[in-house]
Amino acid sequence: MESLNLKLLEVCSRCGACYHICPSCLNLPDYDPRAVIKDILAGKYEKWLDHKSIYQCLECHHCLEICFQHYGFENAMAAMRTVASKKGMTPPQVKRGWDMFIKTSRLGEPMASARKKLNLPEAAKSGAEDFKKMVKIYQEEKTAGTKE
Amino acid sequence: MKDFAIFWGCTIPARFPFLEKSTRMVLEGFDLPYRDLDGFTCCPEKSLVNNVDHGLWVLTAARNIALLDKAQVDLVSPCTGCASNLATVNSELHMNHKDKERVNKILKEVGLEFKGKSKLRHLVPFFHDEVGIPKIKNKIVKPLSGMRVAIHYGCHMIRPSHALKNDDPLDPRKFDNLIKAMGAESVQYMTKMLCCGQGLDRVDQHENALHFARLKLKELKAMNVDAMALCCPSCYLQFDNNQFLMEKEGEKFGIPILYFTELMGLAMGYKPEELGIDSHRIDANGFMEKWERLNRELTKTEEITRAMEAGFGIAQP
Repeated sequence: MESLNLKLLEVCSRCGACYHICPSCLNLPDYDPRAVIKDILAGKYEKWLDHKSIYQCLECHHCLEICFQHYGFENAMAAMRTVASKKGMTPPQVKRGWDMFIKTSRLGEPMASARKKLNLPEAAKSGAEDFKKMVKIYQEEKTAGTKE
Repeated sequence: MKDFAIFWGCTIPARFPFLEKSTRMVLEGFDLPYRDLDGFTCCPEKSLVNNVDHGLWVLTAARNIALLDKAQVDLVSPCTGCASNLATVNSELHMNHKDKERVNKILKEVGLEFKGKSKLRHLVPFFHDEVGIPKIKNKIVKPLSGMRVAIHYGCHMIRPSHALKNDDPLDPRKFDNLIKAMGAESVQYMTKMLCCGQGLDRVDQHENALHFARLKLKELKAMNVDAMALCCPSCYLQFDNNQFLMEKEGEKFGIPILYFTELMGLAMGYKPEELGIDSHRIDANGFMEKWERLNRELTKTEEITRAMEAGFGIAQP
């Protein structure tokens, strides 16, 4: 939440121009980002952390494109999802995807048998080893940073 | 043209290798200087990785871009998510030198440096801008004349525009221009710019994902289009696989979902099976049959025209 610009969000809470273009605002009956934003501004955002709404932002960037602040409420939704994940409240599918990413550096491995059948060349090597090394350094620095 | 690495991403090789097949065939057909580069990881996927750890999202993308810097090549991706994520991090690091320094301190440990000098592009705007319409028209041996195609851009082909800078983010034209260059009609429809909604399938909201797929497929069915064209594996999953699941439950749409490279390949004269179109869950036979029929009729008309010109046409004063 520390990454959010509350002044811009305050304007967001009174504007809502993007409701006319946001695919979820237009097509999912209960989706109301300004309700979430108002609660963030009032310091009462906890109740949204396990709510389906914060995952209904499709990150299509339509709001960002038409926003006169070039901000968009996608920022608020992303921040909420980060807090939810820190508290271990992520949907199971997201958790599975994250684990796979950290373990293998990818979200799926090339299908060797299908490649052969299609006469495709052998897939390029993944950077998994260097990735793991890099993640380890990153996480150590992050832990050191929190302790300071 | 500068050499470029092709960034396949995770989904195409893991789930839809036939989309890789048609992409390679088209790139080779145009004799483009592409190569496979070792060492790439997930781009990484924004809605998954960035939501958990922004720093690692930036670092992982920066590492992929640093591999391009090292090999001194540009990048082209047939996945909109990969193109958009890499371009977004690239733009973020160019704006923020402190973050760039922090990233490079870690990348140094794995022998890399982020410079961000390579062009990062999605395949569709790349074809439009770098290959160009005249060259494309020259390669077409079997135009898609008479075919009514509904384009689904895919949000991340064009947005966020401050990072991708490749088309109008709300009213894009390049994919339309390419489809028209192949000879097909790009059908205009109300839900054209609507997000596919596949993201909802990745957060355990399958019913909502189907709701989004239905919105577009229903309109296209009512408009009687011959196919939907797209160039994103996530959107492809949404419209091919989820359409198949809905059809299994009794809803009927029958809209073939064709990748940009498949349509291009067909127009270049490759066979549907060669391009891997027979691997789709929603079969494209209806599209192929109509196209063959129109082609036969066209050939007949051409024959008559030629005969007329050769015969009494020219003899007339």
